[in-house]
Amino acid sequence: MRRSISLYSLTFSLPLLIWQVLFFVFPLLFLIALSFWTVRNFVMSPDFDPVNWTTMYGRAVFWQAYGTTLALAAAAAALTSILAFPAAYAIAFKLSDTARRWAIFLMVIPFFTSYLVRVYSWQIFLSDNGIINVILGWLGLGPFTMLNTVGATMVGYLTLGFPLVVLLQLFSLIFIDRTLIEAAHNLRCGRLRTVFEVVIPSARTGLVIAALFSFILSFGDFVSPVYLGGGEPTTLSILITDTTKSGQQWPRAAVVALTMIGTLMIVAFGAIKFAYRGKST
Amino acid sequence: MSGAADMNRNRAVNWALLAYIFLAYAFVFAPIAASFVFSFNSDRFPSIPLGEFTLDWYRAVATDPLVWDGARNTLVVGVVVGIISTVMGFGAAYTDYRYRFAGKQVYLALALLPPTIPVIILGLAMLAYLSRINLSGNALSVIISHVVVCAPFAMAIVRLRLSQMDPALEPAAWNLGASEWMAMRHVIVPFCAPAIFGALFITMAVSFDEFAVAWFVSGLNETLPVKVLGFLQGQVSPRINAIGTFVFILSMTLVILAQLLLSGRSAKTADKE
Amino acid sequence: MSRDTLVSFDGVVKRFGSFVAVQKLDFEIRKGEFLAIMGSSGCGKTTTLRMLAGLEAPTEGVIKLSGKPINDLPTWSRDTPMVWQSLALFPFLNVRENVEFALKMRGVGKAERRRRAEQWLDRMQIAEFAERNISQLSGGQRQRVALARSLVVEPEILLLDEPLSALDAALKVRMQSVLKNLQRETGITFVYVTHSQSEAFSMADRVVIMSRGVIEQIGTPQEIYRTPGTRFVAEFLGSSNIFQGRLVPGDGGGAALDTPLGRFETGADATARLGTTATMTVLDTKTHLAAARPAHARNVLPVRMIGEEFVGATATIYLEAAGGQEIRVQKGHDELSDIPLEIGRELFVYWEPGDAHVISEA
Repeated sequence: MRRSISLYSLTFSLPLLIWQVLFFVFPLLFLIALSFWTVRNFVMSPDFDPVNWTTMYGRAVFWQAYGTTLALAAAAAALTSILAFPAAYAIAFKLSDTARRWAIFLMVIPFFTSYLVRVYSWQIFLSDNGIINVILGWLGLGPFTMLNTVGATMVGYLTLGFPLVVLLQLFSLIFIDRTLIEAAHNLRCGRLRTVFEVVIPSARTGLVIAALFSFILSFGDFVSPVYLGGGEPTTLSILITDTTKSGQQWPRAAVVALTMIGTLMIVAFGAIKFAYRGKST
Repeated sequence: MSGAADMNRNRAVNWALLAYIFLAYAFVFAPIAASFVFSFNSDRFPSIPLGEFTLDWYRAVATDPLVWDGARNTLVVGVVVGIISTVMGFGAAYTDYRYRFAGKQVYLALALLPPTIPVIILGLAMLAYLSRINLSGNALSVIISHVVVCAPFAMAIVRLRLSQMDPALEPAAWNLGASEWMAMRHVIVPFCAPAIFGALFITMAVSFDEFAVAWFVSGLNETLPVKVLGFLQGQVSPRINAIGTFVFILSMTLVILAQLLLSGRSAKTADKE
Repeated sequence: MSRDTLVSFDGVVKRFGSFVAVQKLDFEIRKGEFLAIMGSSGCGKTTTLRMLAGLEAPTEGVIKLSGKPINDLPTWSRDTPMVWQSLALFPFLNVRENVEFALKMRGVGKAERRRRAEQWLDRMQIAEFAERNISQLSGGQRQRVALARSLVVEPEILLLDEPLSALDAALKVRMQSVLKNLQRETGITFVYVTHSQSEAFSMADRVVIMSRGVIEQIGTPQEIYRTPGTRFVAEFLGSSNIFQGRLVPGDGGGAALDTPLGRFETGADATARLGTTATMTVLDTKTHLAAARPAHARNVLPVRMIGEEFVGATATIYLEAAGGQEIRVQKGHDELSDIPLEIGRELFVYWEPGDAHVISEA
């Protein structure tokens, strides 16, 4: 019965709104303005010049980085989803309630360990004299160069996205009506076929959203490409840090950042549309 | 879980799936475990076979005044960020729970979107913007940007708790003579208490780890993750393992504390129904 | 407004956007009565209660408590405690703290609070659970805590929103007598919202029947049962056979009803309405069954048996008259012993003109 706008309601609703407008919306808007500024003699000055856009979009290295990043993030999303699914499926359907609770708890732990430290740890495994090469040596194999390769970058992306994707897939699988699966078995739909014809379509929304998150995380990550991939090939995130460091080229970095946001928005929109396709809500 | 489906289960497939779960967790925990093990290992370039047990790296970290500065900054920033994020996240969660208004979708988007923007972009935008308004390069700017990322987590946690609340509880308090403020103080806050503490600890833990924004935004007042990044960029040193293990134990303590609070209370109220 | 009026609704309307929850309520609640508001879901009964509690504001009209308009009084400034369907007990407080809550909000001192809570804990026989958590109580014990929590401020009126709906049947009956006795002993006015006919009729002094935001009838349970005010009420209660027809002069003193099934004598004096269409109800317990056409009866209807149902010692026989109209007869088993009860059997129903009630609506 009370009006929505009162001292009481504003006390709770306004602080976060103001904070996010001031320190989230404004910085992003400022980034747009910044992309039209000009830099002369290492000094930035406010301007309205599309030169940064034309310069960046005219460079082959930018488009190479763009293609690389897009391909790597897409590969990471696909690989993470494919590798995570059997684990999520097994946790959802093959474990007891107690075991499942523990599995979820364990999968949450990585979120509270430093991603950087985990990436450094992978160096111990992957370097030329690292754990994996030593073990392979005992078997008379190798050594193989694993660090500073695209494969290592992918290991980093997996480290980043795998736990989240497993959890998201798991939550969408848990809520599948089990009678659907039993009905499918009852109609002589085989086990594997049931997975593809019943389980995956039922959980589609969650699976797509999980893949989307993996894509977003990998697309913006700069730790793995630098410290596991050795900075080669250049990704957009590396391009941003390099551009920022070299000669105050902030406006050009802003162009890269805005291009990334635009790409992410298109991908996210497409993914969400696909995820909810044919659903009323 | 049981019954007719049991007949259709194939043992070999089950064993394969269980083995796969084991492999998945091995992949997830390998770097964490390695970091822990090698923080006690004497070798300068860590690998196997293991060298001798040593506390040198911890000693090196402990005697580095820069690390202590970083740790202090991390802690101060984390606590302040945790408190601000939790208070504001609570407000936003309550707003979502209680009110309907035009533009609510936009409000919720603003409240929840920041963590989905890549941190490197957020960091760049923050630094450019904050230096424009003369705020960059000090602890305050780190706090500001961390709250942007952490408050959505706090909001989500509190909102989840509020959705477990009987919607009649708050009106019942009003009906018994409590004003809106009194109902907030005597009903909503006590009910949400476990989630509020949970949110506090989890936002602190997120803040401890949020390196990229801090790296961009912070000048001299480096926080611990920024320090770690410095080690990575410079020479490879097992000191990072020591710091990582230390931060891990600290974060996990907070998370387990939060978990105990959240599950302990909800279990107690769940069996009510 | 008479002296014993506690609450009055004057032209109260409640709209939610374009949806009209309550249209034009005019009625009074008397001091010390047990009033039940009854109707199916969405009829506006809960909205009516919530307006009285101050949880919803009327769109139009005035609600008065003890003669004073309370429209603008927020719920926390009214003494209209409510017992909720979910009970809404505070899970983070123990039993005693729940009961003390309202006193604490009113700034009552600690010792006084404890003393007064103690009284109600004793009265509701939950003193031994005082230090327990809500989650450790049974359903019946929770009901008692909810009652004590609302009554501790000793209000003039208590609002109850389907408080028994979560209980099993046996406990429901037990709590009904607890509520009825409590109301009698304290003299507090109870306003009890329910969709259950048995709850309303077994406890209430007066019953308000609502449908689609409108009051269909107000009266004692007896009045409503015997003389439903509208066709809706008769159908809602489901305990009468309903006939529609035109009122014509009867053979005896009352009017008769001309229906497609024949002409039925009624005891009603309906001179003024002769020639108009009317609805007549006959209670299924007052409708009798015979194997052969009863010679002496004045209202007889040939029917065919289509079903039967036995609950305890009572049988309900379902019959069909010409044109497919369903007729019900409710009797004790022994009263039916002479009648061949077979599906499809041709039988006769009959009733006394005095048992036919002509609904007074226009």
